[in-house]
Amino acid sequence: MTVPLDNWFALLLATDAPALPSPPVMQLWLRLGWCTVLAWMGVVAMGRFAPVSARRGAWPITVAAVLALSAWLPGPYSPAYWLGLAFQAPSVVTALLCAGILLERLVPSSVARGSAPAPNRLKTAFAFTGVVLGWALLLDTFALLPLQLYAWGFSPAAVGLVVLVAAVPWVVLGSAPQALRARTWVVPIALLVFAAWHLPTGNVWDVVLDPWLWVALHVYLGRRVWMR
Amino acid sequence: MALMLLSSFPPALRRLLVALVASCVVLGLDIWQRPQIPAQASAPWPADTAVPDLRKLQVQAGGEIPMPAGMAAAHASSLLPMPSGDAASLSVFWFSGDRESGPNVQIAASQYDRSTQQWSPARFVVNRFAMAEQLGYGLRRLGNPVAWLDGGGRVNLFVVATGWGGWAASRILHLRQSSPGRGLAELAFEPVRVLPLSWLWNTSFLVRNAPLPLMDGGMMLPVHFELGIKYPTALRFDNAGDFRGMVRLSQRLHLLQPSLVMQSPSAWLAFMRDERPQGKVSVARTTDAGVHWSDLPDLTLDNPDAAVAGLGMAEGQMLLAHNSSIASRGTLDLSRSANGRDWTLVGTLERGGHDDEYSYPAMAWVDGNLWVTYTVDRHRIAWKRLAAVPLAGPKP
Repeated sequence: MTVPLDNWFALLLATDAPALPSPPVMQLWLRLGWCTVLAWMGVVAMGRFAPVSARRGAWPITVAAVLALSAWLPGPYSPAYWLGLAFQAPSVVTALLCAGILLERLVPSSVARGSAPAPNRLKTAFAFTGVVLGWALLLDTFALLPLQLYAWGFSPAAVGLVVLVAAVPWVVLGSAPQALRARTWVVPIALLVFAAWHLPTGNVWDVVLDPWLWVALHVYLGRRVWMR
Repeated sequence: MALMLLSSFPPALRRLLVALVASCVVLGLDIWQRPQIPAQASAPWPADTAVPDLRKLQVQAGGEIPMPAGMAAAHASSLLPMPSGDAASLSVFWFSGDRESGPNVQIAASQYDRSTQQWSPARFVVNRFAMAEQLGYGLRRLGNPVAWLDGGGRVNLFVVATGWGGWAASRILHLRQSSPGRGLAELAFEPVRVLPLSWLWNTSFLVRNAPLPLMDGGMMLPVHFELGIKYPTALRFDNAGDFRGMVRLSQRLHLLQPSLVMQSPSAWLAFMRDERPQGKVSVARTTDAGVHWSDLPDLTLDNPDAAVAGLGMAEGQMLLAHNSSIASRGTLDLSRSANGRDWTLVGTLERGGHDDEYSYPAMAWVDGNLWVTYTVDRHRIAWKRLAAVPLAGPKP
């Protein structure tokens, strides 16, 4: 049986056939996502504010583990309960970026594959794309765009577009160490998670960008401009 | 063979092909798990018998719905006609607590018993702490509930639930009946999800008015955004009560609480509250069952920034419950229209002083009667039942 071409187009563009995550999967992601972000925050704070002697050894891992475990406490005892109240769940990209940084900090040998630095242009391009997308989504939230961008994020076409954009750096750089350092793997894996479980909301924009990540990308771009 | 062919390509081309295949796999996995595209929406008329002459509607009975013991505040009622086999003909849901937006606000419910013709004592059916425990994250406050029966006969509730902040930090919590029966004594709910409606931490959408049922057993749920600006949106749900998408109803940024009224199965109007001072009742229209909407000129009806409730009874027969004073919610009128543009007063449901409040009407058509509930001074929920009676006139 073949599906007519116009049906395929209709299917690709349809915003009224979203696949949403199941309640148990959403609850799991809420804790897993915030668990990763909290652990990252702990390690970053340790690296910046703790005494030098505490920045090495078992301290960072201990802090990361305690913060990560706190997300799994029941009900209001869990920071995830309050973070979810205010900010819902983090995007999959945010959680993966935090996980990647954690891995680099806690297990340096896991990423020491070559000495070439991450290409700044690529990272800047990623950050710029995220900032522009975030502004578009913010304007859409306030109904200031002629199209309904967030609603379009429920369509397979939006998923396809994000997948293709995410593949560009890998096509250009391959799996060279500098590409790994630029974390070209983050968005494709996030999209695979989305395709499998529709996390975190069933809308593809919520997979790749959340408002906190958007703010962080502004800071990153601002620093790049400042350092030039 | 394919691998050998692939390895003969330049690395960049090889990666491009691999990326395309991987993209197709991700997209295929995504599409494979999606439900079918729903057919174009079509709305059924609410009355399954001939609609009486709306000019002849008169109040037959009325009163106040029993409140939960010790609760001083009540607001935002939502009516739900029950299936004919149920002991109750009607359920009503509202929020109640010490005060509006208070920490102990819960969703209360009562049912109108067919045999005793009485409202049952009210009972709380949704508690924010219980729902938060099941969701895994907190709900700061509860607000407007809206009820709907899905294709499986389960009661669904859509409840305003705030995050950090006031009403502008609201989200819409979708709950589904978890008890075996719909009787008030056993009625219980479990959360389905907080509806994903906005990228900005999923704020700030609220629900107020009744959904427009669809022939496929689904419905269109009118909601609105209200962080700084206000605009209306409609959400589609399928027969199983699953979210199927959203569409904006108006380009104007000062309209809220849309009420969907059918003119025909595919032509609908959205009557909206206008937040501007000296506002009127605003209108948008669709002729393709909610796919596209266009703004229409405001009605001549005054609107004191207050919710309205509409009902399309039959072709050319529409009803609207609305506050009709410019700066007060002290008068609540029921009007009728044939075209949605020109409205004639059927009757005044309540007339009080400037500081009185008879607001947030809800309407339902049940067994040949029009039922209206509304808030009285934010303390009680009142009800009225209207039916058509012969008009007095000269005898032949």
